[in-house]
Amino acid sequence: MSPRNRILGYVRGATASRPRVPHPGRFDGRFLAGDDRPPVDRFVELFLAAGGEVERFADLEDAAQWLYGFAGDFESVTVGATVPGALRPHVPSTCPDLATLGISHALAGVAETGSLVLDSRDGRRTQLLAPTHVVFVRERDIHHTLVGAMVTLKADLPSAVGLHSGPSKSADIGQILVRGVHGPGRIVAAIVGEPGPE
Amino acid sequence: MRSAVTAAARTKDERRQVAWAQIDADGWRDWARDLKTHVLTHLDDYLQQAEQSLAANGCKVHWAATGADACDVVVRIAERLSARSVVKAKSMLTEEIGLNGRLEGAGLAVRETDLGEFIIQLLDEPPSHIVGPSLHRSLDDCRRLFHERFGTALDASPETLAATARVVMRDEFLDADLGISGANFLAADTGTVALIENEGNIRISTSIPKVHVALVGIEKLVPRFEDLSGLIQLTARSATGQPIGNYVSLIQGPRRAGERDGPDEVHVVFVDNGRTNLLADPEAWEILRCVRCGACLNTCPVYRQTGGHAYGWAYSGPIGAILAPGLLGLRASMPLPFASSLCGACAEVCPVRIPIPELLVYWRERAAAEGLTPALETATMKIWATLSEHPDAFGVAADAVGALPLDAVGRRLPVVRGWMEERAAPQPSRERFLRTWSRKEEGQ
Repeated sequence: MSPRNRILGYVRGATASRPRVPHPGRFDGRFLAGDDRPPVDRFVELFLAAGGEVERFADLEDAAQWLYGFAGDFESVTVGATVPGALRPHVPSTCPDLATLGISHALAGVAETGSLVLDSRDGRRTQLLAPTHVVFVRERDIHHTLVGAMVTLKADLPSAVGLHSGPSKSADIGQILVRGVHGPGRIVAAIVGEPGPE
Repeated sequence: MRSAVTAAARTKDERRQVAWAQIDADGWRDWARDLKTHVLTHLDDYLQQAEQSLAANGCKVHWAATGADACDVVVRIAERLSARSVVKAKSMLTEEIGLNGRLEGAGLAVRETDLGEFIIQLLDEPPSHIVGPSLHRSLDDCRRLFHERFGTALDASPETLAATARVVMRDEFLDADLGISGANFLAADTGTVALIENEGNIRISTSIPKVHVALVGIEKLVPRFEDLSGLIQLTARSATGQPIGNYVSLIQGPRRAGERDGPDEVHVVFVDNGRTNLLADPEAWEILRCVRCGACLNTCPVYRQTGGHAYGWAYSGPIGAILAPGLLGLRASMPLPFASSLCGACAEVCPVRIPIPELLVYWRERAAAEGLTPALETATMKIWATLSEHPDAFGVAADAVGALPLDAVGRRLPVVRGWMEERAAPQPSRERFLRTWSRKEEGQ
């Protein structure tokens, strides 16, 4: 008998006489339930608390102007495939493992966890390898809850989604918190108001 | 080492308390318990659904009845690829089945990439905590280690040590042939492997090598993609007190047409290794709800004193003490079910409401019934049982103990002698309790 059928057989045998418990329904345990601020406000609060940085812009033009100045301090950039053309700075572009700045575009944000939802179609290396990471997210794409974001996300899942909620960190050396262990030690959530990048 | 463990466990426990005070703790725990119980009572359906979803996503699914079989699956994949180097994300399942030793035996260079795992791999030690594997090692231990291995200064800052590890491992990531991970959860409907971390090494290990292998315990399934939302938050709040792990990977399969990077192959290995035996147990099957958050370790007064190595295998603390008899067998796990004071702190913090103290007692009863308890303890309990049923004999025995010069005797006994250096044993009353009670009643 194949290992598959043997394992499934054991599972059936183990559970055959046990009462079946129903699914408890969609998770609705909201963090800060009753907090009726706009989701962007809660997102900013949590993202900052996790050690991230936040920049807010009225529109795409405003965001582009900031980015051109910000990126000028970096030697080379890597830019995600889905980042709008207006958000590509005039800095030499290089492969992600050599770039000092990564620029990505998030599918969404999540207020209750302070998370940016990153899409593998944008490019995974760009999201992970540069020491500094700027992530653009449209304010209107920030969901209140993680479950809400996941229900939306489920309709069109890429090969991988990454939820990034702050700079890379570890306390494995003597329980002392350090940043930038493997992923970017500096992450900037660049929130773009209406009308957002198309 | 003990003070490092105690301090770290206390800090983690305090962070958990703060994080759980922000939410409807009972509601979250009930939901998580019910969801995991639902999965365990429908596990055959969800395993088959997950298999189909994973295949539809382009993943290759393997099944392994034992840990050795799971290791063989990975070695065969590595051999087919002529792989030479492996980067590993932290995975307790791979610790459980001894994957690293098997891969190294097959000639592969294996690099643990979680910073804590990296440290203990260099020290050739097993992990001492489910979440913080190097928790027993101090900053000075790490300074000495990095000084010997990488030439950093003996007073190097933690930032310098971490930056050194980053540089050492970055090239290994870029050159690795194979990335190996575990899974915190696997959503059956979308075939999503979910992984939680803080450093980014799991995202990198599963994104850069051409082939990713995820080893998944069969109990890790959840029904729906959106169910992950609750479990991801609950696990982070219990493990580290964060609202969410810094990085969560939700992996559906290999790189798709039009995607510029990601692995060309993704393999998922469903591992039994004793889990179906545990599932069949009428009491202990509830252990399979465990999400490996480590909260029960952090709050456990025994773990705080002993650290994880005293438990002798991958899983330590209260959860390790009840999981070991289920996965390794009761005989091989002795005396772990007895390594607890049954204070109940673990049950108070478990986010999926596993009745850990009851299960410790359950394994103890099984051990006594199977004659696995020490002869002296068995004889003592028999004498106690006999005396309890015979009041006259009990009275005589109580008088005899009361007449013993306990303080003087204690100071002559091994172990007890040390304990009594700063303590005095109170002398029991020479009068039996019932007699004292009767006198009081008469006096009123």
